[in-house]
Amino acid sequence: MVATVNSATEETGDRGQNKATARILAVLSVFASDAVGYGVTELSNQLGMTKNMVYRALTTLVDQGYLVRDPTGQRYQLGFRVLELQNENTSEPDFRELCAPYVDKVFQLTGESVSLMVRAGDYAVFIDGVETRRPGTYRTQIGALRPLYANASGRVMLAFSSDEEISDYISRQSPMRLPASTRQLPPDTLWTQLRDIRKLGYARMLRPGALPMLAVACPIWDMDRRLHGVLATGGPNERFAAELDRVMPQLLATIDELCHRTQLYAADTQQWEMQ
Amino acid sequence: MRARSARAVINSSASHVFDVLRFICAWPAPLGVTDISRQLKLPASTVYRALITLEEADYIRRHRNTPRFELAPTPHLLNRALFSRFELHRASRPHLRSLAQATGETVSLWARLGWFALRVGGAFGSRDVYHRARLGETRLLHDGAAASVILAGLSEADLASYRSFVDTHFPERRPDAGWAAEAGELRLIEARGFATSALRMAPGFDAVAIPVRDETGRPVASITVDGPMLRSGAVALDPRALQARDDLEALVAHDPAAFLSPFAHIPADEILIRTPSASEAETDGAA
Repeated sequence: MVATVNSATEETGDRGQNKATARILAVLSVFASDAVGYGVTELSNQLGMTKNMVYRALTTLVDQGYLVRDPTGQRYQLGFRVLELQNENTSEPDFRELCAPYVDKVFQLTGESVSLMVRAGDYAVFIDGVETRRPGTYRTQIGALRPLYANASGRVMLAFSSDEEISDYISRQSPMRLPASTRQLPPDTLWTQLRDIRKLGYARMLRPGALPMLAVACPIWDMDRRLHGVLATGGPNERFAAELDRVMPQLLATIDELCHRTQLYAADTQQWEMQ
Repeated sequence: MRARSARAVINSSASHVFDVLRFICAWPAPLGVTDISRQLKLPASTVYRALITLEEADYIRRHRNTPRFELAPTPHLLNRALFSRFELHRASRPHLRSLAQATGETVSLWARLGWFALRVGGAFGSRDVYHRARLGETRLLHDGAAASVILAGLSEADLASYRSFVDTHFPERRPDAGWAAEAGELRLIEARGFATSALRMAPGFDAVAIPVRDETGRPVASITVDGPMLRSGAVALDPRALQARDDLEALVAHDPAAFLSPFAHIPADEILIRTPSASEAETDGAA
């Protein structure tokens, strides 16, 4: 019996953290989303834990009051005791902070540069990113501006604007000169691309040139289904095309997980609404 | 027997971790191992392990690379997720925003949660001096205007249960003047239809709270306007606040099930929340 107890107490990670408790926290973290509730099987699939592990974590969390069973008794929901886990002296995470772990996750997944951009008038501005050390890469310079028509992220921002806003934008910006090129972007071509983005739900764009570059840019939504910003990743087509096909389902799942968090906030919360 | 012992060990480790987390939540400044170990009377090694476990799971983080810890985004997100379960949190937003814009004052929406009021919505006014109020604040139902205006609309039986809840769990929070005087205040509030409390840093002006009722007339929430809507002693309410109240009541009446508290299936007596705001005396006076 002593052996059993020891195996439970001494199951520790590299830094001395308690693994059983870490699992309990991991289960609770899943509830930090706009989903209504979860069942054991769902959690077990999402976390890659056995149902028994999940069930034990859930039992502790219900004991502690951080989760409650829903009226059917079959599913689990956040408990009111979560309200004790606040500190009025710490500020709410902002959009960049919410996305930071996901910028890293996408980088781990693709190995290519990742950028996080938000809209600033007629421009998209980099607010975070990781640059790969591999040769041939997109630049992600924090604070740099790009015209909305000029890259995949900006086009996603345009695509999810109203048709009227897009028309106004195009008339303001024409002629739309493409970066590092003497060519112009014809409005019809832009319109076609924007419709494709709307249909697909994200942008997948190949930029021709001496080194053709492939990028995928995903909208990050707020609670009103407005854009908070756009998370994008990309690299030379020759290297990235096959890789992207392989990781696309995981990439979309990662973005979906992020949106379940960003959808807890309104995009302009900072300005008007209480947090 | 073996399994039970192992589970008991896991639970005690988890409960230390949550004790440490709650302590960090309740403390006004970032904390280190020694502070926590001394205050919670736990061995430093236990506290250290708890901190590492919480840090790895993104519940706490180091404060500016010091050996002190503060809350990380996850607990904030859990709270946001909890607010999103209140239909009022989402549905009230345009109404609160337009009321704040029209009056220039900060407005809040408090929902009833058991024997507590919980701030689930709010919009800041246009003035550049304001209280940095936040969502998620909880108050016992006799604590302050926003909560009292809800309590005032409850039945005599509910009021009796409420008194015994406070007597049992928060004896230190009983009204100074006693329950009989409190009952008199509540009758006054119910008859008048609103409650007020003195605004801090705004001498002569009151915050006003009005109840939002369901189709049976029971208050399910309250709207507060933290600004000079009402000079102390005045009796007429701003019609724009009443309009926001009417709009919210119409929403609730249209789909009562959607606006039920997510904890409506749990008896009020079992909803026990101990946050600093719910269990420490506030400076502003009630009603």
